[in-house]
Amino acid sequence: MIGLLKSMATTMKHALDGKTFTVEYPEEAPDVSPRFRGIHKFSQERCIWCRQCEKVCPNDTIQIVTDDKRQGEQYNLHVAQCIYCRLCEEVCPVDAILLTENFEFTGDTKHDLVYNKEQLGNVPWYKDIDPLASREPDRSAWVGEGEGEVDYQ
Amino acid sequence: MATTPVAVAEWLGYATPPLWLQVVLAAVVSGVVVTVMLTTSALAGPWAKRKITAMFTDRIAINRNGPAGIFTIAADSVRLMSKELIVPDGADRPAFDVAPAILPLSALLGFAVIPMGSGLQLADPEIGLAYVFAVSSIASVGMVVGGYASGNKYSLLGSMRSVAESIAYEIPLVITAASVVLLAGSLRLSDIVAAQQGTLVSLGPIAIPAWYGFLNPFALALFLVASLAEVGRNPFDIGEAPTEIVGGYITEYSSIYFVLFFLGEFLHIFLSAAVLTTLFLGGPAGPGPAWLGIVWFGVKIWAVFLFTQWCRAAVPRVRIDQMLEIGWKGLLVLSFANLVLTAIIVGVIA
Amino acid sequence: MSQTEEPDEEAVEEPDPADPAGVVDYDALEALLGDAVVRRERHLNAEAFVVRADRVQDALSTLRTEAGFDHLSNVTAQEYHDRFESIYHLKKYDDPTQEVSVVVPTSRDNPVSESAEPVFRTADWHEREAYDLVGIDYDDHPDLRRILLPETWQGHPLGRDYNQDKPQIVEFEENVNPLADDHRESDTMLVNIGPHHPATHGVLHLETVLDGETVLDVEPDIGYLHRCEEQMAQSGTYRHQIMPYPDRWDYGSAGILNEWAYARVAEDLNDIEVPEYAQVVRTMSAELCRIAAHLLALGTFCLDIYGDFTAIFMYAMRDREVVQNILEDLTGQRMMFNYLRLGGVVWDLPEPREEFFATVREFLDDLPNRVDEYHDLITENELFQLRTVGTGEIDAETAKQYGVTGPVARASGIDYDLRRDDPYGYYENLDWDVITDDGGDNYSRLLVRMREVEQSARIIQQCVDLLEEWPEDEREIQANVPRTLNPEPDAEVYRAVEGAKGELGIYIRSDGTDKPARFKIRSPCFSNLQALPEMSRGEYIPDLVATLGSLDIILGEVDR
Repeated sequence: MIGLLKSMATTMKHALDGKTFTVEYPEEAPDVSPRFRGIHKFSQERCIWCRQCEKVCPNDTIQIVTDDKRQGEQYNLHVAQCIYCRLCEEVCPVDAILLTENFEFTGDTKHDLVYNKEQLGNVPWYKDIDPLASREPDRSAWVGEGEGEVDYQ
Repeated sequence: MATTPVAVAEWLGYATPPLWLQVVLAAVVSGVVVTVMLTTSALAGPWAKRKITAMFTDRIAINRNGPAGIFTIAADSVRLMSKELIVPDGADRPAFDVAPAILPLSALLGFAVIPMGSGLQLADPEIGLAYVFAVSSIASVGMVVGGYASGNKYSLLGSMRSVAESIAYEIPLVITAASVVLLAGSLRLSDIVAAQQGTLVSLGPIAIPAWYGFLNPFALALFLVASLAEVGRNPFDIGEAPTEIVGGYITEYSSIYFVLFFLGEFLHIFLSAAVLTTLFLGGPAGPGPAWLGIVWFGVKIWAVFLFTQWCRAAVPRVRIDQMLEIGWKGLLVLSFANLVLTAIIVGVIA
Repeated sequence: MSQTEEPDEEAVEEPDPADPAGVVDYDALEALLGDAVVRRERHLNAEAFVVRADRVQDALSTLRTEAGFDHLSNVTAQEYHDRFESIYHLKKYDDPTQEVSVVVPTSRDNPVSESAEPVFRTADWHEREAYDLVGIDYDDHPDLRRILLPETWQGHPLGRDYNQDKPQIVEFEENVNPLADDHRESDTMLVNIGPHHPATHGVLHLETVLDGETVLDVEPDIGYLHRCEEQMAQSGTYRHQIMPYPDRWDYGSAGILNEWAYARVAEDLNDIEVPEYAQVVRTMSAELCRIAAHLLALGTFCLDIYGDFTAIFMYAMRDREVVQNILEDLTGQRMMFNYLRLGGVVWDLPEPREEFFATVREFLDDLPNRVDEYHDLITENELFQLRTVGTGEIDAETAKQYGVTGPVARASGIDYDLRRDDPYGYYENLDWDVITDDGGDNYSRLLVRMREVEQSARIIQQCVDLLEEWPEDEREIQANVPRTLNPEPDAEVYRAVEGAKGELGIYIRSDGTDKPARFKIRSPCFSNLQALPEMSRGEYIPDLVATLGSLDIILGEVDR
């Protein structure tokens, strides 16, 4: 009986303290960590078409089409099947790929979620967070350059 | 105290109203009362339930439609009614169609004799209390018929559980109520309410009213527990037990049939709260003028409703065998003990 | 009621007098097995005896009764170009570092070998899986049916001749019609609990035979979530492509623990040394995962008992949220972490480190209050005790027969925790206890999980202390690992770690390429679920549901 009353008292305490832990999305968007891996952003200017990202991708999310001179023509991403493992960003030698913090994207059909290189270039930053700045200390392990500013657009 | 139809007739200038007028007035008044009961209790109930549950679970709860999400009630009604009514192939009709109506019907019949204060009482028979228990237990018929007619094993299990539960807890419920009848000396509900007017003890400025809940808190506790089981709320919600038998007797019901069951359950919670209020909490009694009676009555039944929601948040569901054990070996014995003790005390004093 | 043991005491105490040094004397074992043994093989984790297909029961029962190998951890089946092979991975519950494998080759034309089920009950499901996916027949097996795939499936997907590109359609009519013939005996009723049911924690189907409300028999029917994770791993490269997938086995927040299982086996296979700093980071993140996974288990277990969305479920979610935020800061994801890499971890702690440490410490400092609150809410509640004490009981012997591990085994008094008994990571150097309880019922399992949360907090506390003090120039997060890994051809290894639900093991055979030739996952949930009928026969439906909740299975891991 004591235990029963104790558990009832505990829930009542929670009811009366007025605290909530859920948030009113989308009015109040949750903070995502700087390292959060959301949608893929692609910089055509930086890409050297080495196809390492395509090769490392565990489930063929990235599709690259090159011409006979190995110059890139298409860079398509099947967002719907991306598992956000970030391996493409990890192997990219020139920082042409970044997984932004943005997780807010939708599509009505599967085809809406195939992004070409222009769409991937225009993926917005989430709340203006520059993921590069927050990941800089760790990226040197993967990226040879590491010096100077990196301009994605 | 006259019942509402009689009072209205007197107000219209009939000293002894003819029978046809009584019937017409009773129909009109009960229509009004039912509408009010439905809108305030059964519709606000689910909304309040969501709000209260959210409080207990540290969530925000509905707040998009209107202030504090109050218009969700309307949205919900439209949503539920516009859903497709699915009748399973193996359903036993028309039993399947009749069952959903029985539950709200029996609860509404019960409300007919409850003195709700402010002069609201549709009928006041001498056997009021017996009548309430009789009509409210018709609900079990609805559960059995619905559970059986669905042709679903979960439904069958759920209805069997509900019946076992009703039988096990109906007796302690009635026996405990009988102890109140001993104190009041009448089965008429208005007499029972009247018997609770007055003051039990005065502690300085605070006068504790002579409600039977204060006079015999033990009986109140017994009645409360038995009521929880009777309406199938935690820890006795084994008839539905969503995590065990999916939804019990309402598993196969959808759309408007589901609404009727849902409504019926809420009405039953409020009916048992109303009976509890009448028997133990002085009915519509409260400070202020007499026309405030319905407000006080509402406050009391909502308090009981809140308690059921509180239990839902904090008390685990018991098993069927444990429930029967608590009912037959615990509550039944205790309620008889309570009755005998009350009888002795009443006998000695009187 | 509960006993705790210091991790280092176990090293001193040696259960088997025949092997005083804790080293298995394989020559003696070979002599013991006699002419059942055809030859010996060397696997990276243990010696293996190749045993004749008609002497499997003999060999296994000798190893079990006379040499003390009482834990059939896993059964791997595979097809070579010239033969089928079943490998029985045996261990001792008292000392899992003592291992031996029994290899049973059978010809490709007639792949029949003797079943191990009469010796180890747990072989039942393992052999059904081998039959289902690879196509080996087991003589003497009581019930050799498909287990993961539908009955009408054509072919064996992991066999060499199987056409993986040809889609197969399984029509509903070909499944057992759940409505037909539902009376097995005159007074009983068959109820299909699941695959769509509020309390099955995923898509699990329990064929339950009821007598009134009493469960006479229950048979779990699994495979609804089968994604052939093993095949997926076999088509990924060791270096990069496999690591994201373990997160998706036990997706109940236990991602890093699963990743560690793969990291451990692949590092052993490729001889990779992990820097100490990375080990500490791994240990800390893995224990954070364990807390999150146990909180989820607690919440859903209470959901089964309380019904609907009760307070405890939401409180558990709220506390798990804190852990998930920490893990998000560390790894970049909330559940699908992909944080470990072969040879270390992908990222160092987030900058500013002080802030990260402060967040973790704040969580740890608050945890005792939270645990007290759960005790107030759950364990001390008399009605809750009424529901859980003495229900879903399983004793240690039966549990061992079924290869039960993890909190479920520890709640039955089996003192078995790979973090201590088969040390990896940084656990050896930390001060913590293995929690056991003798109850063996639903209540004990809950209690063990709650206490393990406290122990995990202790481990994290020590890791944070260590990481704070770590000199800045020695923070090596990764060993130097080549871009492509090609392990020795025909190297075989089986390694396990203590996952959230128990022993999570992986067997890999390499064929010299950069992808595994066979990748077999030993899922703790798979073995634990197999023991469910033992626990719930003769109990009521609500107890069956509660027991299922207390086993804390994740169907993604059961079905793989």
